Amino acid sequence: MTTAELRQQRGALPNPDVVRYSDVNRDVLKTLSRPGLGWWTLFGLAVGGVGVFFAAWFWQIYKGIGVSGLNAPVGWGVYITTFVFWVGIAHSGTLISAILFLFRAPWRQSIYRASEAMTVFAVMTAGLFPLIHVGRVWHAYWLIPYPNDRFLWPNFRSPLVWDVFAVTTYFTVSAVFFYLGTIPDLAAARDHARGLRRKFYKLISLGWRGTDREWHHFSKAYIYLAALATPLVLSVHSVVSWDFAMSIVPGWHTTIFAPYFVAGAIFSGVAMVITLAVPMRKYFGLEKYLTVKHFEAMAKLCLLTASIVLYAYLTEYFLAWYSGEPPERGSFWNRVFGHYWWANWIMLTCNGLVPLMLWFKRVRRSIAALFVISIFINIGMWFERFVIIVTSLSHEYEPWAWGLYRPSVVEMGILLGSFAWFGFWFLLFTRLLPPVAIAEMKEVVPPPMRSARPPDAVARA
Amino acid sequence: MAAAGTEAPERGMERRGFLKAVGAGGAGAALAGCGADEVERLIPYVTAPEEITPGVATWYATVCGECPSACGVRVRTREGRAVMIEGNPDHPVSRGGLCSRGVSALQGLYNPDRVASPLRAAGDGFEPVSWDEAMEMVAQRLGGQGRALFLTGRKGPAEAELLNRFVEAVGGLRLILDPLDDVALRAAADVAFGVKALPRYDIAAARRLVSFGADFLETWVSPSGFSADFAALHGVDHGEKGRFVFVGPRLSLTGLNADEWIPARAGSEADVALALAGELVRSHGADAGPYSGLVEGRALAGAAQAAGVSEDRLAGLAELFAEGGVLALGPGLAGHHGAATAANLAVLVLNVAAGNLGRTLHVPAAPDSEAASPRRDVARAVEQMGAGGFDVAVVAGANPAYALPPATGFDAAFDRAPFKIAFASALDETAARANLVLPDAHALESWGDSEPAAGAYAVRQPVMRPVPLFDSRAMADVLIDAGRRLGHDLGAETARDFVRQAADARLDDLGVEGADRETRWRRVLRRGAAQASEAGAAGSGPATGGGTALRPPAMAVNFEAPALEGPGDLALLVHPSARFGDGTHANRPWLQELPDPVSKIMWHSWLEMHPATADRLGIGREGEVVRVASAHGALELPVWFHPGIREDAVAIPMGGGHDNYGRFANGHGVNPQRLLPDAEDPMSGARPVVSVRVEVTPTGAWRRLASTEGTRDVRHHQDERNIALAVALSSMGHGEGEDHADEDGHGQLEELQQGGGFVPVPTEGKAADFPLPGSDFGEYGEPQPRWAMAVDLDRCTGCSACVTACQAENNIPWVEEREVLNGREMHWLRVERYYETVDASGGGTLDVRFLPMMCQHCNNAPCEPVCPVFAAYHTPDGLNAQAYNRCVGTRYCANNCPYKVRVFNWYRYASENIPEPMNWQFNPDVTVRDNGVMEKCTFCVQRIRDAGNRAALEGREVRDGEVRTACQSVCGSDAITFGNVKDSESTVAAMAADERAYRVLDALINTQPAVHYLKKAVFHEVDEGAH
Repeated sequence: MTTAELRQQRGALPNPDVVRYSDVNRDVLKTLSRPGLGWWTLFGLAVGGVGVFFAAWFWQIYKGIGVSGLNAPVGWGVYITTFVFWVGIAHSGTLISAILFLFRAPWRQSIYRASEAMTVFAVMTAGLFPLIHVGRVWHAYWLIPYPNDRFLWPNFRSPLVWDVFAVTTYFTVSAVFFYLGTIPDLAAARDHARGLRRKFYKLISLGWRGTDREWHHFSKAYIYLAALATPLVLSVHSVVSWDFAMSIVPGWHTTIFAPYFVAGAIFSGVAMVITLAVPMRKYFGLEKYLTVKHFEAMAKLCLLTASIVLYAYLTEYFLAWYSGEPPERGSFWNRVFGHYWWANWIMLTCNGLVPLMLWFKRVRRSIAALFVISIFINIGMWFERFVIIVTSLSHEYEPWAWGLYRPSVVEMGILLGSFAWFGFWFLLFTRLLPPVAIAEMKEVVPPPMRSARPPDAVARA
Repeated sequence: MAAAGTEAPERGMERRGFLKAVGAGGAGAALAGCGADEVERLIPYVTAPEEITPGVATWYATVCGECPSACGVRVRTREGRAVMIEGNPDHPVSRGGLCSRGVSALQGLYNPDRVASPLRAAGDGFEPVSWDEAMEMVAQRLGGQGRALFLTGRKGPAEAELLNRFVEAVGGLRLILDPLDDVALRAAADVAFGVKALPRYDIAAARRLVSFGADFLETWVSPSGFSADFAALHGVDHGEKGRFVFVGPRLSLTGLNADEWIPARAGSEADVALALAGELVRSHGADAGPYSGLVEGRALAGAAQAAGVSEDRLAGLAELFAEGGVLALGPGLAGHHGAATAANLAVLVLNVAAGNLGRTLHVPAAPDSEAASPRRDVARAVEQMGAGGFDVAVVAGANPAYALPPATGFDAAFDRAPFKIAFASALDETAARANLVLPDAHALESWGDSEPAAGAYAVRQPVMRPVPLFDSRAMADVLIDAGRRLGHDLGAETARDFVRQAADARLDDLGVEGADRETRWRRVLRRGAAQASEAGAAGSGPATGGGTALRPPAMAVNFEAPALEGPGDLALLVHPSARFGDGTHANRPWLQELPDPVSKIMWHSWLEMHPATADRLGIGREGEVVRVASAHGALELPVWFHPGIREDAVAIPMGGGHDNYGRFANGHGVNPQRLLPDAEDPMSGARPVVSVRVEVTPTGAWRRLASTEGTRDVRHHQDERNIALAVALSSMGHGEGEDHADEDGHGQLEELQQGGGFVPVPTEGKAADFPLPGSDFGEYGEPQPRWAMAVDLDRCTGCSACVTACQAENNIPWVEEREVLNGREMHWLRVERYYETVDASGGGTLDVRFLPMMCQHCNNAPCEPVCPVFAAYHTPDGLNAQAYNRCVGTRYCANNCPYKVRVFNWYRYASENIPEPMNWQFNPDVTVRDNGVMEKCTFCVQRIRDAGNRAALEGREVRDGEVRTACQSVCGSDAITFGNVKDSESTVAAMAADERAYRVLDALINTQPAVHYLKKAVFHEVDEGAH
C-alpha cells in the first residue's frame, strides 16, 4: 500500500482535481500573487481599525483607565473578556497542528497552516489586552521576573504571574512551531517568486533545499515541537481559567474551570477557523484543498466541545444550587435572571443550542450553514467570558456593593480594533505565506514517478 | 575640560542656592529671630515660631463655627496649615463627637470660591477694591440716620455682643435669621415655664426615649452632644438598653435608629402627646399642673384617629410612659407646622406629666439671647426694605435670598435697598445682590466664643493665619474698625481683645479658677472649654432656675394643627439636611459626595416616597423624574423609594438647588423652599416647613440616582448574607460558657478539610492568631502588635461623620456626580444601611441596621495572594498594606475582596478634581495617590506609626487607646474602638471577646478579619439562623 493510500484510508482527502505536485504549487502559490481589490479593501479596513485601536488605547493611557466603563465592583470587563476570547481562539491552531498531527489525523493538513497563523495572531492580540487593562501600563513589566537592585520579584502565588508565563510560553512555542512548519513552503515560494520577493523568501526560508537530510531533521524537529506544544494547549487555558478559579468570587471559584475553559477554547478556536476558512477558500479558489470533508471534521470537533461546554454550564448551575450558599446561589440566579440575563441567554443559545444542529449530517456538510453557526459560536463564546466575568463581579458577597457596568465607547473601539489588528496580520499572512501547507498536501498526492504518467494523461490518452 | 571648569561654579551656585532655600525652612522653624519676613512667607502660622517643628503636627483646641451648636474641636495643623479637625473630648457638650459638617469646615476654610478681596458692585459684576476703600464706603453708608437693617445668623456671645453694640451705635435694627433654630420650642417653653429658652434635655439620664419627630442625631440643637447621650441611653450595657420610640410621618436618620416606629400623621404630635399625658393623669395619677383638666379629656382613641395609627400602638406607648423614665423630645424642625408651638407645648406637658421636669428636662434660668427672629418681624422688615425704609442693609452669616421661600419677596425688596453690604465667605445668592461684599474670615481664622451649656464656656481661637489667597477679615474686626471710623468705641481694639475681655468676665462669673487671668486664659485655650466650678455655678444660678412647674397658659392654645393648604393629596415634608443643614454647607464637595445617611444619595436632591404611593401614582421605578407642585411653585426631581415614610406624605431635604454658591453647590438638586408659602405659626412666628400639600405627576423622564446602595434589585435587605447582624436582648447573656470560640465556624471548616486533602488551618481563627501559624514572615521575627478594630453596631447611628473624617485624614479625593453614577466613589469607609423591618402603615417594631464597612485587614486577606507584584501585602503588625508605588493596577485585589472596600483611581482625581487651595488641606503624612493605583483603608497607618515613634522616643510601648483612627476621632457615640488585639488588657481585645462580637463573612470564607463588629441589640426576637 502506498503512503497515499494509507493516508486516504485514515481520512486524507485528496481531491481528484489535484493530481500533481505542481498543481499544489500552482494553486497555493497563486494566493501570493498580486492582490485584488477585495483584499485591498479589507486591508484598508483593517489598517483603519488598527488606527482606531491604538488611538483609543493611547487616549486611555493619556486620560486614565476611567475612560472605560469599569468601576467598583466590576473591575474587569470587556478587556479581560476579549483577552480570554482571543486566548481561546488561539487554541485550535495548536490543537489542529500539533495534537492532530500526533494523533495522525491527516485531515488537518489543509487547514493547519491557516489555523496556526490564526493562533499566533490571536495570541498577539490577546497579549495586548492585559497591557490595555492595567491602570499603569508603564509599570506592567513589573510582572516579569527580572533581576533588579531592589530584589523585588513578582508574586509567584498570583495567577496573573502564571498568566504571564503561560501566554508568553504559548506565544513563543506556537510562533516557532508555525515558522518551522512553513520553512519548506517558504522555499517553494522562493522558487516561485522573483525580484524582491524572492530575496525575502530566500532569507526567511533559511536556505532550505529539500534534501533528505533536511527533511529528516525537519520531521524530527516538527514532531518534538508538536509534542512540546501539545501540553500547552491544555495548560494555557487552564492557567487563564485559574485567573478566575483561584479567586473567591462566587461564580469564579470552581474546580470545573480548567477543563471547561479548555473545551470552550477549542470550541471557539475551531469555530474561528471555520469562520476564516470559508471566505479564504472562496476568495482564493482553494475549494480543492479545503473540502467539505474537512469542514465536516471540524464541525464534529465543534459538536464535541459544544457538548462539553453545555455540560459545564449545567454543572455550574447545579453546583451553585447544591452548595446551599446564598452568595453562590445568588450569583447564578443573577446570571440567569438578573440585569445581564440577556448576555447569559445569548451565551446559552449560541453555545448550547445552536451547535446542536451539528448533529445533522446535512448541516455539517453545508459550508454556508457551518459559516453561520461558526459566527454564532464566536459571538456566544465572547459572551460566555463576559457573563463569567461581569455578572460574577457585579453580584458578589456584599449586597451593598453590588453594581452594574456598561462598556464605554473606548472599550468598544478597542474590542473592534482588536479584530482589525488580528485581521491586519491575517491578511498579510494570506499574501506573504502559503496559506495551505504545500509540503503536507503533497504527501497525499501520488508521488511523481518517472515511469508512471499522471492519471489525467492516462485518461487523455 | 575648560568648558567644564567654567560650568562647575555655576552649578555649585545653584546647589548652594537650593540648599539655602531648603535651609531657610528649617531655620525658620528653629530660630525665631532670623529673618521674620522670610520665615512668615515659608511657614504661615499664628503662634510663635518656636512652637512649630516642621513635620510635627501642632494641635489647637477651638470651637466649631459651622452651626450654632458650637461643638468643641481639635484642629491639627502642619507647618501652619489646618489639615484635620476632630472632636474635642474635653468639651462638655460634644464630648469628642463631631459631625460631617464640622469636619467639612476645612473645605470652607480652603474653599476656592471664597471671596478673595472686598468687592464693589460694578455693572453686572463686581470689581475688587482695597480694604481701605471698602471701609470708607462702610463708614460713609453707616454714618447715616440710623436706618440700617442687619440680617445676621446666630452668633456666639462675644460676637453677638459686639454686633449688638455696633447696631446700637449706628442706630439700626438687627434681625436674626436661622432656619434651623427651633423657634417654636423656645416659644413653647415660654408659655409652659415662662422662660424663652430652649430647654436642656438630659437624654443620658433618661431610661427611655420618645421623639415626636425631633431629629436630634442630625440637625436639632446639638447633634454631636445628643449622639453621646443617645449612645449612653440606647447602647446595650449589661444586657439592658433604653428603648427609643419614634413618632412621626417620616423616618429621618434619628428615626431609623428607633426600636419602634409610630407613623403618626404630620401635625398630630399634639394629639398624641396630650392623649398620652391624659392617660398618665387618668390612670397613673400623674400631675400635668394647669393642663391636667385639658389632658384628662383627651382619649387615646381620638389621638389614634388623628395620627392615623392603631389605638393599640398608642396604648403600648402609654404603657411605656407608665413604666417611667421616658423622656419625650418635641417635634423638632422637621415637624414645624402651623401649630408647632402648641405641639411643642403638648410634648412639654407630657414631659411634666411623666415627671421629667428637673430630672431629664431642665429649663434654663435666663432666656436665650441669640434666637431667630419671628417671621413677622422679618416680613415687616422686608416690607419696609422694599418700601425704602432702610438706607443700608447688612447681611452677615445668613443667606436669606436662598433660605427664605421666594413667597416672602425678599429678593425684590433687597434689591430696592439703596446700599447693601454683605459679610460673606463665599459669594452666595444674597451676597451676589449686594453693593459691597466684605470677605469674612472663616471661623478657623477668627476669634469668638460660645456657651455650649449652662455653666460652660468655650473660646474659639484661630488655628492658623488667614489663608493668604483670600484677603479676608473677621466681621468683628471690621465692625470695630468701622466703629472707630464712625467715632464709636465698641470696647476693644481688636476682636481678640474683645473676646479676651468677654472671656475674662465670663470665666469670673463661672468661678473658673486660675493662678491669674493670663494663666487661666491660656489653660482654657489649651483645653478648649471651661466648666463652672461649684461655687461659680451656684453664683450664676442653678441650671434649672427657670421653671420648676408648668404655668397656666396666658392665652388660649389651639392644639389642632391647621389643615395643609394646596390641591394635592400628599403632605410635603421639608426637612433639614443632615449634610447641608439649611443649605449653608452645600458648597463643600466632601458633603456633596457624602451619601445622605438615609437615602445614600449624593450630589442631587430626591423626593422621598413610599413604594406603595409610587405604585398608586404609576411610578414604576426609582429615579423617575416627577413634577412636584404646590400652590407656590413647582419642582422637578427624581423619586427615591423610602419604606420609612407614610403613604400620604412625600419629603424633600433642604440644602439643594443653589444657583450662586460656588462651583460645588450650583446646579445640584432643588430648593424645596420654592414650594413653601410665606406662612407662620401664630404663637411663635416660626416658619412652618410642613404646610402644603403637593401634586406629584410623573414627567416620563428618568435619571440614575447617584446612590451608593448596591441592593437595587432586592431592595433594602441583606439577601441572606449575614452582613449586619442583630441579637435579641432577651437571648443575651445566655451564650457565656458555650462554645463561643467557634462562632466563626472554623471547627466545622477544619473537620471538612480533614476529610479531603487540604491542610487544616491550625488556628481557631481568633484575631490575635497572627501571624498565622506556619506562615513565613521572613525576618519579621519580633513580637508585634496585631492592630484591630471593634465597631459596636448597637451604638452606631449611621451619621456618617466617620466617612468625612476619613476623607479629610487620608487625602481621599471626591469624584463628582458623573463618576459616582459610574460607580467610582473613592470613600475608604462607607456606612451601609439595611432595612430589616419597616412598616409605614402599621408601625411597630423597627429594625434598620447601619454598618460602617472599611478594609477588614484580614489575617487571610484574599487580596494579597492575587496581587502579581506584592503591592498588597501584610505588615508584621497585621496591617493589610497597599504599596501605591508598586501597584500596576490590575484590580485583581478588588475583585477578590469580598467586602468590596478597595477603590481605584480611574483618573487623576486628586490632582484634577481638587482646586487650589483645597489641596492645602492635604495631610502631609499621607501619600496623594495618582492615576491607576488601588487604594483602601489603612487603619490610619500614619497615626499608628506616629504613636509608635513617640513611644519609641519615650522608650515605652504604645499605650492602649493611644492610636485613634480618624473615623474614631469624630464618632459621637463612641462606636469605634481601635487597638492591639494581642494585648489581652486592651479595650479592643475585650470587645472582640464580647458575646455580641462577630466578623463579617468570616464563617463563610475564613478571611479572619481584624474588624470585629458587635451585633446590634434589639428588643424583638431575631431569627438566629438568618441573621
